[in-house]
Amino acid sequence: MTDRILIVEDDERIRSSMRLSFEGEGYDVDEAESGEQALDLFRESPQDLVLVDLMLPGMDGFECCRALRKNSAVPIIMVTARNDTHDVVAGLEAGADDYVTKPFVPKELAARMRALLRRARSEDHDGPAIRQFGDFELIPDEGVLRRSDGSDVHCTRTEFRLLCELAASPNKVLSREQLLERVWGYDYFGDGRLVDVHMRRLRTKIEQDPALPEHLQTVRGMGYKLVP
Amino acid sequence: MSPDATSDRGETLVPFYRRLGHLGLRSRLIATFALGALVLSASMATIAYLTTRHFLIVERQAAVLHQAYANAALLRGALASKVPHIDAQLSSLDTGRGTASVLNVDGRWFTTSLAASRSTLPVSLRQTVHDGSVGTLVSKSITAPSLAVGVPLPAVHASYFLIYDLTDLQHTLRILLAALGAAATVTTLLGGALGLAASRRAMSPLTEVSDAAVSIAAGELGTRLPIDTRDPDLLGLTTSFNAMVDQLVARLERDARFTSDVSHELRSPLTTLAASLEVLESRRDELPDRERRAIELMAGDVQRFQRLVADLLEISRADAEADELNVDSVEAGELIRRSVIAAQRVIPGGEDLSVTVTPQAEHARLLADKRRIERIITNLLENAANHAGGASEVAVSVVDESVEVSVTDHGAGISPSERSKVFDRFYRGTAAGRRGSSGGSGLGLALVAEHVRRHGGSVFVEEGPGGVGSRFTVRLPLETSEPA
Repeated sequence: MTDRILIVEDDERIRSSMRLSFEGEGYDVDEAESGEQALDLFRESPQDLVLVDLMLPGMDGFECCRALRKNSAVPIIMVTARNDTHDVVAGLEAGADDYVTKPFVPKELAARMRALLRRARSEDHDGPAIRQFGDFELIPDEGVLRRSDGSDVHCTRTEFRLLCELAASPNKVLSREQLLERVWGYDYFGDGRLVDVHMRRLRTKIEQDPALPEHLQTVRGMGYKLVP
Repeated sequence: MSPDATSDRGETLVPFYRRLGHLGLRSRLIATFALGALVLSASMATIAYLTTRHFLIVERQAAVLHQAYANAALLRGALASKVPHIDAQLSSLDTGRGTASVLNVDGRWFTTSLAASRSTLPVSLRQTVHDGSVGTLVSKSITAPSLAVGVPLPAVHASYFLIYDLTDLQHTLRILLAALGAAATVTTLLGGALGLAASRRAMSPLTEVSDAAVSIAAGELGTRLPIDTRDPDLLGLTTSFNAMVDQLVARLERDARFTSDVSHELRSPLTTLAASLEVLESRRDELPDRERRAIELMAGDVQRFQRLVADLLEISRADAEADELNVDSVEAGELIRRSVIAAQRVIPGGEDLSVTVTPQAEHARLLADKRRIERIITNLLENAANHAGGASEVAVSVVDESVEVSVTDHGAGISPSERSKVFDRFYRGTAAGRRGSSGGSGLGLALVAEHVRRHGGSVFVEEGPGGVGSRFTVRLPLETSEPA
């Protein structure tokens, strides 16, 4: 089964060249020149991955991410103009899973896409050591996090994977580097902000008081750990 | 006079005149105030002295004259009634302290004091009196200043002289002079002090301007002078100074934005180029040799172009300080080793590069932005690859409070005069003037300097060990305290 990728980019030439490049890699490609068009296309046909340029006319990339996230856990890679903390963090908070900076090397983007798609298929090696923490239960087969009252917590696949990695060794501190490698497939030089922002988002979904986390704890200067 | 002395004189005289002009504003103000105070107080003192002196002498003169008339009248009476012992009569006169009487009767001289006699009387006075007039004379002799009055007594063929000793008066005047002189000196000093205070006050806005300029030059572009609308004299200076800085900042921002805008504009076509080229490259095996070679050339330059644009964006962001340092607490050994591995993925060759880390440096902790450190190492290794046939060694050690990372090559070396310039943007050495096919963006070392600066470290280049090649050394401050 070929993966379907949606490119949201207002520059027609970039769109076309990326389509050529991705088709060459064996993906099915859809193109959208605006955020609005992207949402329409996304409703019509399911996508396996969305590539969103942050600088779009009309609805910008951040809004587009947020709109997509409302009812989908699809992997999103944003294309930022700058490596500025503001753009990167805002994009991740809007729901993006990862980012690349323009001008990007196509190979690098392809590698990021592969890592995300692999993770999305959730063909997990070993499941988490614990399934239950607090009021929550991790169900890796379905890829969902369920409350004890039976309702599901909406979380993206990246967030789910992050949770699984932490749950694999409860009470043990995992460094940002370890999490970056295991969840995103980054090496030592991965951007730690990816972990920080995703942890923040997870806390707002799980913790009673995200400022005083009970389960997802930060160990200053070390990393993060899951306390059941 | 020796020629030397002449030239000395010539040299000291001319500049003396100019030296006043060369004095600082502060010294000139102090000198002006002190000089003004001196002129003023000295003239006041002189006038006071002269007036007092004149008044005292005139008053004394009148008193002496009055006394002389009274004494002369008494003596005339005594002589007319032929009183014997005229000298006793003379002595009995009450003339007051410091006075002496001299009487001449028919050519005979009588005196009340040994110090006063016919000979001590000035001839001109004697003559005046002899001619029948009253005479007054002030002798200004320094040893014995005196006032002499002569009264002719023609009816009894006599003349009477009263000599008044002015030493006391002179003494008083001397004290007065000393007091006035002291007052003038104090006033002059006070004038100088006032000048100092005034100069401080006058200089304080200038000091502020100079402090502001220093901080602006140091990169604090937000520095402005506080505007004090109450002082119309300074308002002009502060407003124009601030306007100048605004202009300067606007100019800097315009330049920086231009670089940034150009780079941003280049990104889109570059992205298209790179993506399209990749499609062609993936089919290169199916292409004839000529076409394949053309695509390889294109791919090489597109890659270089991408690096250039990325570097330009990076440096323009650094200029605008728009990029935040994304620091982590990391171990120096691992960071540098991994950086070298990452760099070698981009830089061809360099398989025989050795990385040595001292045991102390291995676990030395740095607060560093890992990706920037990786850029530093990549750029240094790339520089060595492009200009010196590749780096030979990367060494990590701890020196004082810093981690020292040095990259050594066995290239042609860099001449001492060029060493400070290699970190300039787009600087291309004279020896390495050519732009090789693998030539960097020309910004690599400038970015190294920029990243090192943002980490609070330093970078320099020196001759390699044994005088061969060159060695770039980066110093990064150790993390001072344990993370809380």
